[in-house]
Amino acid sequence: MNGILATFRRELRAYFFSPLAYVVLFFFLAVNGIIFVYLVGQLNDPRSAGGPPLGYFFRASWLMLLLLGPVLTMRLVSEELRSGSIEVLMTAPVTEGQVIGGKFLAALAFYGFLWLPTLAYGAVIAAYEPVDWGPIAAGYLGLLLIGSLFLAIGIFSSAMTRSQLLAAMMTAAMLFLLFLLGVFEELVNNDAAKKALGHVSIWNHIDEFASGIVDTRRLVFYLSGTLFFLFLASRALEDKKWR
Amino acid sequence: MIEAQNLSRRYGDFTAVDGISFSVKEGEILGMLGPNGAGKTTTIRMITGFLPPTSGNVTVAGKDLFESPREARRQVGYLPENVALYSEMRVDEYLAYRARLEGLSRLELRQAIPLSLERCLLTDVRHQVIGTLSKGYRQRVGLATAILHNPKVLVLDEPTVGLDPKQIISIRELIRQLGREHTLLLSTHILPEVELLCDRVVIIDRGRIIAEGTPQSLRESWTGNPGIRLTLKDAPEEAGEVLARIPGVVGVKPGGPGAWTLECERGSDAREDVFHAAVKRGWVLLELGRERGATLEDIFVRLTTHDAAQEGAAEAAPAPPQELQESQEVVS
Repeated sequence: MNGILATFRRELRAYFFSPLAYVVLFFFLAVNGIIFVYLVGQLNDPRSAGGPPLGYFFRASWLMLLLLGPVLTMRLVSEELRSGSIEVLMTAPVTEGQVIGGKFLAALAFYGFLWLPTLAYGAVIAAYEPVDWGPIAAGYLGLLLIGSLFLAIGIFSSAMTRSQLLAAMMTAAMLFLLFLLGVFEELVNNDAAKKALGHVSIWNHIDEFASGIVDTRRLVFYLSGTLFFLFLASRALEDKKWR
Repeated sequence: MIEAQNLSRRYGDFTAVDGISFSVKEGEILGMLGPNGAGKTTTIRMITGFLPPTSGNVTVAGKDLFESPREARRQVGYLPENVALYSEMRVDEYLAYRARLEGLSRLELRQAIPLSLERCLLTDVRHQVIGTLSKGYRQRVGLATAILHNPKVLVLDEPTVGLDPKQIISIRELIRQLGREHTLLLSTHILPEVELLCDRVVIIDRGRIIAEGTPQSLRESWTGNPGIRLTLKDAPEEAGEVLARIPGVVGVKPGGPGAWTLECERGSDAREDVFHAAVKRGWVLLELGRERGATLEDIFVRLTTHDAAQEGAAEAAPAPPQELQESQEVVS
């Protein structure tokens, strides 16, 4: 427990001490703001189909996670492997799992922090028309789940290499593959394959969450996926010793 | 305090450490000496639990490193060869982080940090960002984190590498102080450091221990019996006989007009008797001194040189005692 907590505190701090965090924060909010303004503008057009603005917002802005995942996680383990600080870290009375867990939670906390300002969008909408908060909460839950899987994948790549660049590229490749599964769903003709791909398509998932559907199958998918990659990450870190 | 049994470590086909066994007693400072690439760092990493050995066992303070790794690691403070710190943190923040990692409570932490800072002379820079510190200061921050949780055992891997002479002196002084309270394992390739700091020395080469003992005993075993050099004015004829009768003298060798070299029993010092003998007979003593024995440096160079010509020279050297003869075979 000490290991997780100490690592968590230090990593969260490190996010806020690095210029990268502020650059990410800036662009993330800028892009989200542009998406939101554009959506509201479109929905105000009397010819538009209408619907809850935040639903559209979730469906669009999750795509940024494909970039955010690699950027937020690439440093986490690679940096320790490169600088050699892993040596004093792993000779402290902590396990690989605790270190990975602490780093993951710090990344997740920072990720949550990035979304925090977007809560204002809900408030803005609520000032003009009645808002159904259920789907909004579900949408944020979806973003949290997708984010945690992406971050876990990122930590796994980061634990594989001492090069941050390589870690970011590996994460991006894996996330892109995951993203493509949703595209393949539209392309395949085989029914069974279509169904299978439909289950792992993040497009479908965010669509559900944004319309207020919280399916336990999705919860299981994201939570088990996250744990699986965190487990792989701690194994990768352990494996570094044996070479 | 530290028991290493038959430690081996292979990287693929390359054997970095080949069956090393040694132990460090409580309160002792053991120096690990060896040329670069001899396997010192690998050995140390196995003792601190960073690298699992290919075979062998390590016990630290009675705790097996593989059966109870966390308890064993808690007893060890470790300063690696390359001290890697988080450069964006301040010194006291970093120590607080390390203290939490070691599992210190808030209360313990509040006492331990100022103490470590003070002992390592870091109190003045405690609010400074680590990235802005000089190498000597960073080394001290590394040491401060190693002693933070008051471990029974300190393991320091080449603690003075890359420091300027003044910093080296201050770090050595610090190590000497720490040695009074902790059991210390110190790796180095700087020989004076070993002579200055260590109670006992293990010399490692090509992944094996090739010699072991106190700096004193190593020197003696390689020098043979202690010798005395003297020069008498006008070279009195009976001098040889008289000198040979002095108690403790086992051999007399003439070395030029009036010059003699006496071989003495181990642990004896015949200089006083030589002086009295000279006074009694009215000889004029021009020179009297102990023969300079082999330094640790000589031994080290002899033991770890693999060049054929050098090896011949090493064999021609005074016969080392039994246990060293065995290790000599390993070298040749």
